[in-house]
Amino acid sequence: MAYGIKRGVRFQILSESDLDRIHWGTLHVLEKVGVQVDSVACRKLLKDNGCDVDEKTRIVRVPSHLVEWALEKKKSSITLAGRNPKYDAKLDLNHSYMTANGNGAVAVDFETGKRRPSMKKDVVNSSRIIDYLQNVHIHWPMVSSTDQHPSTMHLHDLDASMNNTEKHIMYETGVTISDAKSLTEMGYIAAGGEKEFRQRPVQSCLQCTYAPLQHDAGVMDASLYFAEMGVPLVFFGMPQPGATGPATLVGSLVVGNAEVLSALTMTQLHAPGAAVIYGMGNAPLDMRTTIRAGGSPEHALSSAMATELAHHYGMPSCVGVSATAKQPGDQAILEYYTGCAGPLLAGADLMCGIGLLEDSSCLFYEQIVIDNEIVGVISRLIRGEWADDVTLALDVIEKVGVGKNYLAQKHTVQHLRSGDHFMPELIDRRSFDSWSADGSKSLVDKARDKTKWILANHKVPALDSDTQAKVNAVIEKAKKPMWGGETKRA
Amino acid sequence: MADAVARLKEAVMNYEMETIADLAKQALKDGVDPLVAIEKGLAEGIKTVGEKFGRGEIFLPELVMGAEAMKAALAVLEPAVPKGKHRSTAGKVLIGTVQDDIHEIGKNLVSTMLASNGFEVVDLGVNVSGSDFLKKADEQKANIVAMSALMTTTMPRMAEVITPLKKKSKAVKVMVGGAPVTDTYAKEIGADGYSGDASSAVEVAKRLVR
Repeated sequence: MAYGIKRGVRFQILSESDLDRIHWGTLHVLEKVGVQVDSVACRKLLKDNGCDVDEKTRIVRVPSHLVEWALEKKKSSITLAGRNPKYDAKLDLNHSYMTANGNGAVAVDFETGKRRPSMKKDVVNSSRIIDYLQNVHIHWPMVSSTDQHPSTMHLHDLDASMNNTEKHIMYETGVTISDAKSLTEMGYIAAGGEKEFRQRPVQSCLQCTYAPLQHDAGVMDASLYFAEMGVPLVFFGMPQPGATGPATLVGSLVVGNAEVLSALTMTQLHAPGAAVIYGMGNAPLDMRTTIRAGGSPEHALSSAMATELAHHYGMPSCVGVSATAKQPGDQAILEYYTGCAGPLLAGADLMCGIGLLEDSSCLFYEQIVIDNEIVGVISRLIRGEWADDVTLALDVIEKVGVGKNYLAQKHTVQHLRSGDHFMPELIDRRSFDSWSADGSKSLVDKARDKTKWILANHKVPALDSDTQAKVNAVIEKAKKPMWGGETKRA
Repeated sequence: MADAVARLKEAVMNYEMETIADLAKQALKDGVDPLVAIEKGLAEGIKTVGEKFGRGEIFLPELVMGAEAMKAALAVLEPAVPKGKHRSTAGKVLIGTVQDDIHEIGKNLVSTMLASNGFEVVDLGVNVSGSDFLKKADEQKANIVAMSALMTTTMPRMAEVITPLKKKSKAVKVMVGGAPVTDTYAKEIGADGYSGDASSAVEVAKRLVR
């Protein structure tokens, strides 16, 4: 069976003409308002290719034909390879893949329940959990190894991930050119060489643009490097409707689209044909609490519409989901269900990501397991139904006739096995009596039990000692004193 | 005169961003004491707006518009305050996002919240170097230096301002915030206060100047 979630159902929010208007509107913004480009290299690239560059304000106005040219150059089909090829995620516009959420800085200790800064051991454990779970297909280092030297935290995140999952790893920490170099080197080591990595990229990088309409120097310099070195990129816009983008979801989509398309243009000018995935995660700012409303219906709709826009361009999408809940349970489930269902029903190729609370900042191990179940439910919703000889089952209906039942039919067993009926692991469908006799466990309790089981039983083959030695050398080489000397944490 | 002051208060409460500067100019022309106009007019107005926001009666954009209106009037009234006199505030806060970090909105929200709770806020903007924080803290005689970082990679910048700042002055307090920052981290780097969101930043600032 193919890896990923098969898609057979799609709901539509925007019409073709809506999408065209958003596209033309975006080109208008890029030509008239422009984007702020802080990278000197990128400004030169854009200027050399006919853009109007104001060196004082660093604002670049990008002509439409250049954006259209970049859209021609991009790759539509990208495979994000796993260390184990059975986990290769083919972004073929027919399958959806769920990713972990990434780079929170807080974790709630699974043993003590204490809320504390995240540590490398949390990256290790969450990577093993992700490796085990069936409905999460792409791994992200979920939290930062804040117990490591600040200059190499992100490399420890990657090291812990590489050793504890065989799935593809996407990171979001390539924010300067030196970070990009170290991360790329680790990717090449993981793949067994540059040529091998280019054929089967086992790692990729998600880059955030800055709303409204800005590109950070470090991020863009790193992006050009990644593009050149064959590391697939996601450019991820995230204007917050009402705050860093217009309050209307479509208006914010235009702002985010202008950021993503201008980043795509710079990348394609530098390395034509580089693998770029279209990313967006527009959650509004909650206007009562000033917290980003991850997992809101508006977040889900924005991610769904961004997917439609990406497909309009023939690009795979990577769209966001998160939750503002403070602990696993009812609110987290409601937010993650809402946030995942909308975009997946609209055909999101990559959904990032599950398992973190407090808007992608706090890790509870058991939430990963709960979200895995949520994605399982949605996978069934979007698989699609069709009428053919097998599904119509006229022969079986004839055979069973009137007043009997279908329990003892091979047809029934076959279709249970092929996933026609979703079999939950956490949702409890037992009677009250058997549920209470078994300790009246909540869904969160059951998720904790399963998490314990995974941590005790699931083993992932570590890197061999030769590869590990090379990885350690990259980390050691990257270690440098931070500005103004060492911090206490180091 | 009392009418002019009441009118300024009302203009903040009605978010009259575009026209409040003219009202302030008129008040000065009519001989209103600029300190009274600020303290009994603008400050009272923004306090009411802040309280409404706190009770959930209005939304964030309305609070921001109230703060913008106040700012526009302050630009007219403050230069008219006689030398040596100062408007009474809850305290002076110097705020900015640390070097290599251009995330703005969280920091702006904290500024707005502080301003609407009686603090005088000097905003240094984003990508503020350590030396700028130190220089301005000295120049402005701030009670509080507030730093924001939104990336795990820029978080250590905060630590690197605190050490020299504390060496120079025992009186100045430091508060930090931003998505990856935690209470534990704030304590480790020697900050006096931490807040996870703009509303609780006000409580922290009040505690620090008490």
